[in-house]
Amino acid sequence: MIKRQNTLMYLVLSFCLLFSNHSFSQSDNSGQRRITGTYAVTNATVFTQPGKSISSATIILKDGLIKAVGNDLNIPIDAQVIKGDSLFVYAGFIDVASEAGVSKPEDVKRSDDMDPSDPRNEVAGITPEREVLQYWDVNNGEITNWRKAGFSIAQVVPKGEMLPGQTALVVYGDKESSNILAESTGLYAQFETARGVYPGTTLGLMAKWRELYKNAQLKYEHASLFKEKGNGINRPEKDPSLEAFYKVINGQVPVVFEAEDELEIRRVLRLKKELGFDVVITGVKEGSKLAEDIKDAGAKIVLSLDLPDNKASKAKMEDATEEAKKAHERVIAAYKEALSEAASFEAAGIPFAFSSKGAKSGDVFKNIQSMIENGLSEEGALAALTTNPANMLGISSFTGTVEKGKLANLVLTTDSLFSKDAKIKYVMADGYLFEYEASKSKKKNGDVEDILGVWNYTSETPGGTSKGTVTFSQKSGNLKGEIVVDDPDGGGKVTRQLENIHYDGKELSYTFSIIVQGQEIVVNTKGTLSGNEFEGNLSIRDMGTFPFTATKEPDFKL
Amino acid sequence: MKKFTYIMLSIVLFGAKSLYAQTPKGDVLIQNATVLTVTQGTLEETDVLVEDGIIKKIGKDLSASGSIETIDATGKFLMPGIIDAHSHLALDVVNEASAPITAQVSMADVVNPFDVGIYRALAGGTTVAHGLHGSANAIGGQSITMKFRYGTYNPEDIFMKEAPRTIKFALGENPTRVHGRGKNIQPRTRMGVEAIIRNGFAEAQQYKKAWESYNSVKDKKNSTATPPTYDLRLQTLADILDGKIIIHCHSYRADEIYMLINVCRDFGVDKLVFTHVNEGFKVAPELAKYTMGASVFSDWWAYKFEVYYSTAYNAAILMENDVITSINSDSDELIRHLYHEAAKTQRYGGLTDEQALSLITINPAKQLGIDEFVGSIEEGKQGDLVIFDHHPLSVYAVPQMTFIDGVKYFDINEDEDDQRIKVSPTEMVEPVYLKAEDERCMHGVELFMQEAAAFNHTH
Repeated sequence: MIKRQNTLMYLVLSFCLLFSNHSFSQSDNSGQRRITGTYAVTNATVFTQPGKSISSATIILKDGLIKAVGNDLNIPIDAQVIKGDSLFVYAGFIDVASEAGVSKPEDVKRSDDMDPSDPRNEVAGITPEREVLQYWDVNNGEITNWRKAGFSIAQVVPKGEMLPGQTALVVYGDKESSNILAESTGLYAQFETARGVYPGTTLGLMAKWRELYKNAQLKYEHASLFKEKGNGINRPEKDPSLEAFYKVINGQVPVVFEAEDELEIRRVLRLKKELGFDVVITGVKEGSKLAEDIKDAGAKIVLSLDLPDNKASKAKMEDATEEAKKAHERVIAAYKEALSEAASFEAAGIPFAFSSKGAKSGDVFKNIQSMIENGLSEEGALAALTTNPANMLGISSFTGTVEKGKLANLVLTTDSLFSKDAKIKYVMADGYLFEYEASKSKKKNGDVEDILGVWNYTSETPGGTSKGTVTFSQKSGNLKGEIVVDDPDGGGKVTRQLENIHYDGKELSYTFSIIVQGQEIVVNTKGTLSGNEFEGNLSIRDMGTFPFTATKEPDFKL
Repeated sequence: MKKFTYIMLSIVLFGAKSLYAQTPKGDVLIQNATVLTVTQGTLEETDVLVEDGIIKKIGKDLSASGSIETIDATGKFLMPGIIDAHSHLALDVVNEASAPITAQVSMADVVNPFDVGIYRALAGGTTVAHGLHGSANAIGGQSITMKFRYGTYNPEDIFMKEAPRTIKFALGENPTRVHGRGKNIQPRTRMGVEAIIRNGFAEAQQYKKAWESYNSVKDKKNSTATPPTYDLRLQTLADILDGKIIIHCHSYRADEIYMLINVCRDFGVDKLVFTHVNEGFKVAPELAKYTMGASVFSDWWAYKFEVYYSTAYNAAILMENDVITSINSDSDELIRHLYHEAAKTQRYGGLTDEQALSLITINPAKQLGIDEFVGSIEEGKQGDLVIFDHHPLSVYAVPQMTFIDGVKYFDINEDEDDQRIKVSPTEMVEPVYLKAEDERCMHGVELFMQEAAAFNHTH
């Protein structure tokens, strides 16, 4: 009883505090609140939409909206003025499939007597009912990075396996805001399966997809009949997974299907043809050869901002045989082709957008420049960042261009967007201004000394999060390393020697092998180093690629 | 008027496009060859004319209209394209090893037209292959019959659309290892495999009935019927019971072969082919009487316990007992020289040329239900042909040209070092897997098998 009274008291107290805070909120002792919600960008070159620009223009922004764009505008008295004399202004970029700020739901516990041939949906990676926003955090550092790269709106996608959940539309605005534009904007699907249960491969995944979809249609029919008639009709069994398909069945939202290569895209189109849903295909890395099929199907295309490594050009081929040299030339040609996919889609008349999933925010401009060098028009690149995704997501009425009445989402650069020297100076997202250091203080590449020492790593694999250390040392000029990993065959840790260590001052790669149930598995690690941070991927043949990050332990040597 | 022109134009374009969507059909006249028809004897110095993909005429001194390519095959041998009734080539996934019955899965979903192995098979005269699910499950997935039209980017161009549906079953050590020992679920023994199949069929009967009774009343006035759950697995099994799908069953031992014959007879299923069938010779009369035949290895044996009792005379014994017999590869390597494999039956069992050739042509065609289209050189059949420099059953034989639907897909004179269609932008060399066998029948099951490493051969 006493305890309950106490609780009540605390509640009342905290309510009072809350109230008092509110009532005296005119005084901001935190110093955090912005002074004004009104801004004016003056005398800038404004690209109102791809291909259209106004020079020496002024933009008036107020409380999250663009109030006016043009020459000779009156600047409101309460406006914070951003002198745009040498700046270029674009609409804020829109990302159609982002994992930034999304955490992976905890793996569902598998019961000991689980039948792997018929697992519960959650165990099989089938959770279409989940809302990604439950796992999304606007204050996550990844979002800061993507905002810094010019993005202000993203369709966030859930993490998981074949049907991880529903996507949502968010804005990268103030950290105190909810930043939600729309929930349940699409049903996210991937060619990923949970380990050791049905469906375990693409074969099972395709069959399961057909079955889920048809059962959702039947369930919908049944539920409608029950609603209409009731009398004499069996109660439809509640099934959240199937009900999550209803919006797709009714054509209200599309399936947002991640498909990287041509064969995967064809599999998506195959399902679409059989089942008839609307589809947005994301993370696309090739497929311009399928242009006609894509058009016929009415599928929408979202290219990955991740481009392949230019391994081929680094290979030393002087001593190679003629045959190897010819094969090498084909790899180079394939690499070129990969870079020109965007241009090929543009030439085929397929409007596409971009997806950040799997890409690094720091590489965005370098990669888009590569696409432009390989034939994509600058206008097309800007459209892919702004108007195309806005159309695709059905939000062009309020964003995607710099026009009166649109949301105050802007990118301000020091030079025209796709020129080599352009730096982002400001990003305005949801009416909030973020300023960046645009000076050209490019840190030069470091040397081997940079990596010597102990690194703490974290990696995400289907087996869960694992942590451990990687240690690099130098012995008579030779770089050596070892990694401590969780023993895959049971508790405890094992130490493995690193092989093929390469460090070029920026990129670091190495391999090591582990024994899993008597089988040797080779793990390739590759990534980039900046200061004491290493960001990269682990890849294992036949299993996939998983994120791997490491931080160097402070070196106390003087 | 202008509008009308546009409409006409779009119709023309549309028509052209749908034509384009068809697989290519060619015209060719092959002259003066020794034609091994397989079904109608050997014809010396004979011409074969293919028009629009179909064998139009077989005879002497045929002439072709102007533009048709003419090939002089004097001194050479022409045989029908080789058909492999058991392959896992050009499939991205082989096993969905997660359940003892996976009848719902379809190999058509994972066909990879870029697999350079297709070209290598063509270079060995193979034009048609049956792409099967692996042998991890008692009832595996639905197979895909492919015509190796190499060069396309579209997997569907490789499908042989005329072919009936087929499905993979597997008996014995593989399914019991994967599910019984690997995951401690049924089937753990050969009895369990039988029970799995019988239960599956029985469930399918109930399933079929549930849908039939729903469909019979749902459109009636004031019907209160609600739809049963859709189950693609049971639906597929029901299709087998309805005779819509041919079973190809991985099997070794005579007892289990006879077991499945009995199971199928109990359920009224007669579209049944056994594959591997090392002990088939022990039940040859039963195979002849109740099945669509046996597809065997020429001489593979002893790679696991259930294949110790084997003989290289198997194919010949089956053949002489009137079993429709074929020799298959189950290997991306053997598929390149099935003519050698067929020739072994002349060393072991003394089969005639025609019998030996039928093992890799018309007989596998019968087992796949495509013998009205391919498998022999007959007027009206599809123009799938191979030109050899020597008799294909000679050890010196080398395929010279391979045609599918009258289109040339392999020519030894135009053979380049690098015949890949597609190259990875980052892989410097094409990965080479030294243990090719491990890649196939039991591919992808390692995760389920504690003792996987202890077994080397996995067919």
